[in-house]
Amino acid sequence: MFERFTDEARHVVAAAQEEARALRADEVAPVHLLLALAAGGGPAGRLMQAAGLDADRLRSAARRSGDPLDADALAALGVDLDQVRAAAEAAFGPGALDPPPAGGHIGFAGGSRRSLEEALRSAVRRKDRRLDTGHLLAGVLAVGDPQVGRVLRELGTDPRELRDQAEGDGEVA
Amino acid sequence: MASPTSDVTTAAAADDPAVGLRAIRALRELADRLEVLQVANARSRGWSWQQVADALGVTRQAAHKKHAGNRKDD
Repeated sequence: MFERFTDEARHVVAAAQEEARALRADEVAPVHLLLALAAGGGPAGRLMQAAGLDADRLRSAARRSGDPLDADALAALGVDLDQVRAAAEAAFGPGALDPPPAGGHIGFAGGSRRSLEEALRSAVRRKDRRLDTGHLLAGVLAVGDPQVGRVLRELGTDPRELRDQAEGDGEVA
Repeated sequence: MASPTSDVTTAAAADDPAVGLRAIRALRELADRLEVLQVANARSRGWSWQQVADALGVTRQAAHKKHAGNRKDD
């Protein structure tokens, strides 16, 4: 399947694994593909930059939404997570409260595999010979992953609008 | 969504299950992560599994089973 991928698109798939590892996830979820797309080049990177989707801000939104250590919920109980974190790090070192790292190989979640299939479908539909990052973005948004939706909305972007742009960007540009 | 300044009692007795349950999950997660840190620290200072278990109020077997795989403790 990867032989049709542009170099940038290949790079995004590899970078998504690094994003997942950095967020201590145990598999590569669609949101990690989204982060890699925002940080990478190609049509998707340009589109996301234009939409104000900065990779760092997306990353911290993804970290918050994916971690069961919910700072808002704890604050409602009167527990200041930042204070607890600072105390834990003072005693046990930086990142002490982070979830334990996933061991060894991390695979692609079902939603990510479907994203890649949808990307391929998008390229076929547009009769594009190569699969670029724009197709990948369209693929990620086609599967309707709830975490992707939450993270995008948190940054003020409507996932459906972004999908329309990603689907249409071959013709517009 | 509750504001960070809200009363402890607001959430502890919140009648919105979504807020109350999310807070419980977060507390459990926090306790679990702190437990891992504390047990590893105790073991590295030479505490026996029995001492760790007594402090946590669990059996030696339970403490060992839960934590023996962590860090360099096997």
